[in-house]
Amino acid sequence: MQTPAIASSAQPRLTRGVRLQTDSKTGNSVLLFPEGVLELNETAQEILNRCDGRTVNEIIQALAEEYDVDPKMLAVDVEETLADLKRRKLIELT
Amino acid sequence: MTNPRPYALLAEITYRCPLHCPYCSNPIAVACADAVESAVPSGDTAEPNALRTAHTTAELSTDEWKRVIREAADLGILQIGFSGGEPLARRDLPDLIRAAREANLYSNLITSGIGLDDDRLCALRDAGLDSIQLSFQSDNTNLADEIAGTRAHQHKLDVAAKIRAANIPLSLNFVIHRRNIDRLPQMIELAESLHAERVELANVQFYGWAFLNRAALLPTREQVVRAREIATAAKARLAGKIDIFYVLPDYYENRPKPCLSGWGQRYLTVNPIGEVLPCPTASSAIPDLRFENVRARDLDWIWRESESFNRFRGTEWMPEPCQSCPQREIDFGGCRCQAALLTGNAANTDPVCELSPNRASVDAVLHELDSLGYHAPAWTYRTNPKGSPVASPHVAASR
Ligand code: SF4
Ligand code: SF4
Repeated sequence: MQTPAIASSAQPRLTRGVRLQTDSKTGNSVLLFPEGVLELNETAQEILNRCDGRTVNEIIQALAEEYDVDPKMLAVDVEETLADLKRRKLIELT
Repeated sequence: MTNPRPYALLAEITYRCPLHCPYCSNPIAVACADAVESAVPSGDTAEPNALRTAHTTAELSTDEWKRVIREAADLGILQIGFSGGEPLARRDLPDLIRAAREANLYSNLITSGIGLDDDRLCALRDAGLDSIQLSFQSDNTNLADEIAGTRAHQHKLDVAAKIRAANIPLSLNFVIHRRNIDRLPQMIELAESLHAERVELANVQFYGWAFLNRAALLPTREQVVRAREIATAAKARLAGKIDIFYVLPDYYENRPKPCLSGWGQRYLTVNPIGEVLPCPTASSAIPDLRFENVRARDLDWIWRESESFNRFRGTEWMPEPCQSCPQREIDFGGCRCQAALLTGNAANTDPVCELSPNRASVDAVLHELDSLGYHAPAWTYRTNPKGSPVASPHVAASR
């Protein structure tokens, strides 16, 4: 399947029926949805915690500032992660 | 062995159901008294012996289920499926869903939709229900009602629209068998027109009532080949729109389906009377397995220590050819229930496997069916547990 392109002006948010919460056994974030559970890696966790109406670009800037890294380098990671979540229908881009 | 951690609990809260599907996976012989949610079991003047039976076979009460839900969350469980029978037959369903929400569980309702009106749907949503799986028997009203043994199809269509309006994620579940498999394209169309997010097209698995009705339900090889092509094409066409899950009929396969993610690895089931099962169909399929009850033990102990959960955990119990097979951590030797039902020993290799010394037992069934041609015998409808009148005000029986 093709990787959907991620526009920097898009606002990612969780798809209806998807819940983001902390797994009390591990302390890590998980996504819960009708068919199952996805354990999130740190990148995905940090991104999803900021999917609150911000655009992809704003999320990248925020992360870059927080971790003091070059936003251009971060962009690839963020876009890949979002594309993956989009393909699994766990997020929507509006 | 390090102890695995369970992720999902299937809560079969009642065996009562207003439908009579001939493929129901519920045990055929269940003696299950009415729920104690609202009243004591009837027959209060019964002898001590009968009383004891009524007590031990009564459905778990609301408070007992709430305790089970809390214990499940403590064990690490993240998802709960409310199933049955028909879970809506219990009036305390919103309370149980609320308890699940409070314990941070993601809740699925697996339902026929019978008994779901606007008020109840609101109550369930307000209690925190996350998602609904609505079962359908066919896309065609007459056929669907014939399979369900009652007039339910039109009501299900209305319910699907209500679920959509309530903005709750919707999955349509079809059980596929000889009588409806040729309508796969129409069933997929129905899912599209009802704007479901997901559709499950699961070929019937032969446990419970379906095992009894095998000859009537097993599709022919030609039907299976066509259905697979249709499902594959629909999957590609609807990618990104509707997720299509197609479950193969395993009698026609050369290798068995995997036993979940391994026995006692990720899932557990609690049945209406409180027995805890590693597999939902194990209580009827594997007669020599003894199940613990939440009325006597806590879930944590049962998960870690009980004989039933440990019997087929890991790979040590496996016989040859599984023991030395590279697939053993992938399919886990196949289905324990199928091994028990077809070979008489749950520890045998699943006889569907071409490497199993018992594959002939499966081929014999297929052969017998071939000789029937397209003239499938009549099936036996599912009946309800004794002493459990089913309230189904919305449905008039068609038979
Ligand atoms: S034993 Fe069979 S029915 Fe039970 S969980 Fe395993 S595969 Fe499923
Ligand atoms: S021999 Fe056992 S492990 Fe190997 S494929 Fe068959 S059932 Fe699976």
